[in-house]
Amino acid sequence: MIQRFMRNKVVEVEPRPDGNLEVSWRLTDDLLKAEVRTVVQLPDMEILEADATLERFLPQGGEVASELIKKIEGINIGGGLRKIVAGLLGGPDGCPILVTAILESANAVILHFTRPGLHLSEAMTDPKELKEGFQFMLQTNPRLVRSCIAFQDDSPLMEGLNL
Amino acid sequence: MISFNRSQIIGAEFPDSEIVRFNGIQEDHIYGMEINMEVRIKDGEILKVEGNMKRYTTPVCPKAIPVLQTAVGKSLKDEGWESKIMKEIGRKGCEHFAEIIIECGHCFEPALRSHDLSLALEKDPALDQEQFLKNWSA
Repeated sequence: MIQRFMRNKVVEVEPRPDGNLEVSWRLTDDLLKAEVRTVVQLPDMEILEADATLERFLPQGGEVASELIKKIEGINIGGGLRKIVAGLLGGPDGCPILVTAILESANAVILHFTRPGLHLSEAMTDPKELKEGFQFMLQTNPRLVRSCIAFQDDSPLMEGLNL
Repeated sequence: MISFNRSQIIGAEFPDSEIVRFNGIQEDHIYGMEINMEVRIKDGEILKVEGNMKRYTTPVCPKAIPVLQTAVGKSLKDEGWESKIMKEIGRKGCEHFAEIIIECGHCFEPALRSHDLSLALEKDPALDQEQFLKNWSA
């Protein structure tokens, strides 16, 4: 059956020569085109720069998106980000698209750091070694504990851990 | 060089006047997942959902597939629906399935608006699209 609506979204993380990360978040669908670019300073993961462009039929807050996004500059990616972003960019005078863009950009930065560890675990063929690898990851990333079915208390990956 | 890339593609079909059928795909360097779900237009209730895991990171991940059924009966129009999906499908199942369902939910109203606009344009190609969307209500 023919699609009556299509949305494409891409988020990319690119390390820059100065050691910072540039994140490009883009959305295009039948009604909206949006681009949000952020620069994240390491190691504290502070959002140094943020720019936004919205085109086509603008959603709530779309007219002021390029000014509104500046409120996020200086904020660190870390605990409590969801509430901070909702407070700065959401609400009745906010722009929900920018909230989504920033949270998804922050998530992409986290996954940029997750990817190398997963590459290493892929090379492990011994199930015991693999389990130990995941358990090391859980011990060093406590935010993952109970974050999904793989890391719930009754998961075999959690056996023997007291987290 | 790009160190992480994620793409989400959401499509919406209207098999009849009461239902919208979403197909959502999420592909990135780490995960590859797909969701098909049907939503009742009048109240946003999720009627049917199925998921497919193409690429995942632990041997436990596929156990999240049956957890998807807890989304059935939830409405995309309820207050806090995104948090409920993330809690029920994400934490108890798979966060990435939850992300796709939430993106399908974000597309619910735009898909209806776009569908209505395209039908109106078939009748009147000179229609003021901006005005039509300003006056549009679900």
